[in-house]
Amino acid sequence: MKYTTFNHNTTNPLSEPMFFGNPVNVARYDQQKHPIFEKLIEKQISFFWRPEEVDVSKDRIDFQGLSTSEKHIFVSNLKYQTLLDSVQGRSPNIAFLPIVSLPELETWVETWSFYETIHSRSYTHILRNLFSDPSEVFEDIVVNEEIKRRATDISKYYDDLIFVTQLWQTQGEGTHVVNGTKYQVSMRELKKKLYLCMNSVNALEAIRFYVSFACTFAFAERELMEGNSKIIRLIARDENLHLTSTQHILNLWARGKDDPEMAEIAEECKDQAEAIFLKAVEQEKQWAEYLFQNGSMIGLNKEILCQYVEFIANHRMAAIGLGQPFDVQSNPLPWMNNYLNSDNVQVAPQEAEISSYLVGQIDSEVNADDFGDFDL
Amino acid sequence: MKPSDTLRITLETGEIVEQQADKTLLESLEAAGQEVHFHCREGFCGACRTKLLCGTVKYLTDPLAFIDDDEILPCCCVAEQDIKIKLL
Ligand SMILES: [Fe+2]
Ligand SMILES: [Fe+2]
Repeated sequence: MKYTTFNHNTTNPLSEPMFFGNPVNVARYDQQKHPIFEKLIEKQISFFWRPEEVDVSKDRIDFQGLSTSEKHIFVSNLKYQTLLDSVQGRSPNIAFLPIVSLPELETWVETWSFYETIHSRSYTHILRNLFSDPSEVFEDIVVNEEIKRRATDISKYYDDLIFVTQLWQTQGEGTHVVNGTKYQVSMRELKKKLYLCMNSVNALEAIRFYVSFACTFAFAERELMEGNSKIIRLIARDENLHLTSTQHILNLWARGKDDPEMAEIAEECKDQAEAIFLKAVEQEKQWAEYLFQNGSMIGLNKEILCQYVEFIANHRMAAIGLGQPFDVQSNPLPWMNNYLNSDNVQVAPQEAEISSYLVGQIDSEVNADDFGDFDL
Repeated sequence: MKPSDTLRITLETGEIVEQQADKTLLESLEAAGQEVHFHCREGFCGACRTKLLCGTVKYLTDPLAFIDDDEILPCCCVAEQDIKIKLL
């Protein structure tokens, strides 16, 4: 079916499936088939922040004092996160917008992707402060073997879905030959690719950031690189919301609350979905090993970080009906919760210079007591 | 508050915790020394997802995270009557 930017047919968005129904025409939110996406849009917009508002200047001094192995950990994590957000800043738009059928979900995808671009811009903000010329760091992202290996697994499900969608939208269902290769295009095949892609995105946002987050917050526990840590806390809060959205999509499908064919596919492809998740867990553990190859850092080592990945994976896999495959009962890094708590992001006094948080939260009345904790 | 008004939260392990006034269910559990996984504490991440075995809860803010029909988010609700829960 050819994509149109404004479908002239009268459609009823309340009876459309999330994907592969009619293209959306009117961007209306007065009625919603799945109101959760409208709520997520509102929440995400309320999180608005700008990297430039976070002062990272002290990090430059801290960075110079880090050991060589700690510098490797810090910079490698930023490279990996830059890769993840480069992919996430474009892919949900390119893969999902051409096939989405609900206005609230279309706008959620756009809102979601927009925040990923804020994340990408924040890495430039951080790196510009640390290096007079950050080019070398950015240029290594496309040649570094460790990062490339992950990039392949992250992008391939998107690329697959995008390619077959393009074939379907230009040539329809059937067998098509492109550059000598034969492709079978059917709606069932498209929906399977969408299902696997959504699982891959879910796994990405569920666990792929967490080794990196743990290192950032372990530096912050030592009062090092705190500007960076503030930014990563804001990113982590956004990522939690993105994760919630793909958990909703997967569960709506699996429970037959959307497209009934997607419920069949969810059942049929459960093992593949599990394999995607477990591979991401494995790659994160290998990443921890790569980070600590020259030596670990105070407060963290490879073993505890791998246990943390398993602990997080248990929770996130259970949320989409994949059970808890790992034998970790309690949180190996309990202090992480203090950094992933959105209350703290907003009320911690050290966040005071982040003006966008305060807008709309300032009481009209200010008492002297309110400043009791401030030292001038 | 009279003792008879205090709502009881029974854990699957048999331990009993009181729903404290002005505290969320999560805060009441923490005050009693229970380890509950949490991240956002605002109802959007789902980290504190817990099974509700019996009774009902009242939400203070709309939970955005995905929860199953028999699950609750302790970070943004309070017990509405005596409840029984299973920490995940
Ligand atoms: Fe991101
Ligand atoms: Fe994200």
